Amino acid sequence: MTRAKFKSFWDKFGTLSILILIMICLSIASPKYFMTLDNIKQIGLQSTVYILLAFGEFFAILLAGIDLSVGSVAALVGTFIAMMLKANVPVPLAILIGLLISLVLGAVNGLLINALDLHPFVVTLGTNTIFRGVTLVISKGSPIFGLPASFKGISGYVLGFPIPFIFALVMSAILIWFTNQTVVARNLYALGGNKQAAWYSGINTRNFTLFAHMLASFLAGVAGVIMTSRVGAAEPTAGEGYETYAIASCIIGGTSFFGGKGKIFGVLLGGLTIGTITNGLNILNVSSYWQKVVMGALIIASVALEKLVGSTVKD
Amino acid sequence: MEYLVEMKNMTMKFPGVVALNKVSFNLRPGEVHVLLGENGAGKSTLVKMLSGINKPTEGEIVLGGKTYSSLTPRESAENKIAIIYQELSVVDELTIAENLYVGKLPYKKIAGLKLVDYKYMNQEAQKYMDEIGLKKSPSTLVQDISISEKQQVEIAKALAAKARIIIMDEPTSSLSIEETEELFRIIRRLKENGIGIIYISHKLKEIKEIGDRVTVLKDGGYVDTKDVADLEVEDLIPMMVGRKITGNHLGDREQIEKDNEVIFKVENLTRKDKTARNISFEVRKGEILGFGGLIGAGRSECMEGIFGAKPITSGKIYLRGKELKITDTYSALKQGIAMVTENRRETGFFQNFNIWKETSVTTNLKKSTFGGMTGLLNEKAEREKAEEEVKALNTKCSGVDQMTVNLSGGNQQKVIIGKWLAVDSDVFIFDEPTKGIDVGAKSEIYNIMRQMANAGKAIIVVSSEMPELLKTCDRIIVFRNGEISGTLNSEDATEEKIMYAAVAVD
Repeated sequence: MTRAKFKSFWDKFGTLSILILIMICLSIASPKYFMTLDNIKQIGLQSTVYILLAFGEFFAILLAGIDLSVGSVAALVGTFIAMMLKANVPVPLAILIGLLISLVLGAVNGLLINALDLHPFVVTLGTNTIFRGVTLVISKGSPIFGLPASFKGISGYVLGFPIPFIFALVMSAILIWFTNQTVVARNLYALGGNKQAAWYSGINTRNFTLFAHMLASFLAGVAGVIMTSRVGAAEPTAGEGYETYAIASCIIGGTSFFGGKGKIFGVLLGGLTIGTITNGLNILNVSSYWQKVVMGALIIASVALEKLVGSTVKD
Repeated sequence: MEYLVEMKNMTMKFPGVVALNKVSFNLRPGEVHVLLGENGAGKSTLVKMLSGINKPTEGEIVLGGKTYSSLTPRESAENKIAIIYQELSVVDELTIAENLYVGKLPYKKIAGLKLVDYKYMNQEAQKYMDEIGLKKSPSTLVQDISISEKQQVEIAKALAAKARIIIMDEPTSSLSIEETEELFRIIRRLKENGIGIIYISHKLKEIKEIGDRVTVLKDGGYVDTKDVADLEVEDLIPMMVGRKITGNHLGDREQIEKDNEVIFKVENLTRKDKTARNISFEVRKGEILGFGGLIGAGRSECMEGIFGAKPITSGKIYLRGKELKITDTYSALKQGIAMVTENRRETGFFQNFNIWKETSVTTNLKKSTFGGMTGLLNEKAEREKAEEEVKALNTKCSGVDQMTVNLSGGNQQKVIIGKWLAVDSDVFIFDEPTKGIDVGAKSEIYNIMRQMANAGKAIIVVSSEMPELLKTCDRIIVFRNGEISGTLNSEDATEEKIMYAAVAVD
């Protein structure tokens, strides 16, 4: 293989290669458990929330911005839904209202960014805390248990496969189509590539910024539904710090921080990588305190490795 | 010593390309030696050898009595060579004096600590600033001064480094006429002190005004070196491009007046920030309307208002008699208005897009509804449209998959024009359409504008280059301080008349 060919191979399959490498390492470290079908399903299940949050994060980063509030949005939506379910609101309606709330939260982010002309980092840093605070206020700080079985059933299995993971794959397919085939997504790429040029080409940058943040929150809201149904309870502190994993998934998946570049498939692999690392650390009985240390190190290592291999064959 | 520097048979090969082929060049003390050539002719490659960035493949540089096969940036600085790039490299957050001494701040020792000696530094800086006539305090922050003053800071910095050779890369590209005059005055003073200046420029008129000798490069090869006194500016163009630029770009005045059909009309437009006030004008069929004036007179600001890019408080805009409702750039696009902006890199194209994606942005928006939120892409149609525009505009590229950012300035400009032609816009606003574009491509762009006007589109050209206005426009409107100060027909327009209207005389 020539250098140029390897370069284009690595551009396409770098993230996948890193994921496979991690899987091989874990198979060697834990030959008995890691590569079993049950565990693979488990990885899928564990990755789902990361993947969905990362999809949301993707659209914020695509505009050269960021959304630090995805974890709080998931928790707030989950808590709202749980409270509605406790008040005997039918499951589908509760989920629908929950997702509408996520759109409102995204609109808050987008409108603040537009109105104050602030970097999304600042705005979502603030709203992240506010949304978390609202979650704690409405739940009075305690988890909401005893959710109906039909709601928990969302996180069940069909034909032996975890429904959330199937859902994540379906969502990936939809978003891959969305990012490749719709005018609105192309305009988001344009806006992320050069905001000023977008404005001077006829793209109303404010409307699209608002749209991207609503979409980001919506996907975080979807993650919130799955997260809550999987645990079977709404924890007001659920998803705390998950924005880090969402951002990490995007970076591992090759989304550019400068905006305008990135692919949904890469983000899917990024989310799976985070899920695989989490799973592996559990299997290897790494203490939960150490897990964070190892996780952070592995995030840096996987991005660095990808970049390193990519740059050694530059030109 | 006859020459400050002598470069002999400089050759630079990159894999697959010869960027420079056996080019010789020399510089005498106290002369301005102009380096002329189209983009990609090898001017930058040559001067980067002097600044130590490029390592020549072949050739030798005789400098300060020594012969080098290549220079390091350090050797370049030791030999008192300074370069002032088009994109100025002053640090906005520092003061003028700090900029002059950045990296080698004078210090005093107090209790064993090295502290910056501001008093001494400001005194010294003041000397160099006086030398070039920069009337500011040395402790002024650079972010608070104008672009031309920043450039003067760069020159003062070169003087502070005791430069004997100063390379200026298109120094007047963002200067107004007065600022250019000021720069020339400084350059003349530098010459008196025996400093040699290598002056890179596209602007042929300047060469006659400031140059002593001129060396022309073409496609990486050496064409000729001549004394400026012995030649006419027009002689240089064929040397640069190897073809004579012919053709009058004006429209058929009789036909324009006979048709007398007003395509586009603006009435009493005033921008919210008052940078353009009470602007009224009309563009007739087959006509190219020019806007002259000094930089900052409100021409671009007025156009941004028409295009919906910046808010206006009053003003009516008509296209073929029908009033348009423009609230943002999207509504402008939808109603047939196109704007080719002045700064391609900042507001013109997308660094992450290739040619076909670039071209189809506007088409997709125009077909779409709800501000560009609806609709599906059609890659095949997008590619075909882009290929069509590339062909129609003779854009030089390896194909529509090439990234716009990797094209030369002239071809980037063509891609941007193509993006608006693709949606069949009725009104084209060109803001400094040939800024930073080489002579050959310039001429092509003038032809394109004329063809568009003949095809019935309203063409508006904002330009700070008066010859450009005189050459291309059928009528010229002049701005002064945000208002229209005069209108000239092409027959009786001269540079003097434009200037007269552009500056307050009494």
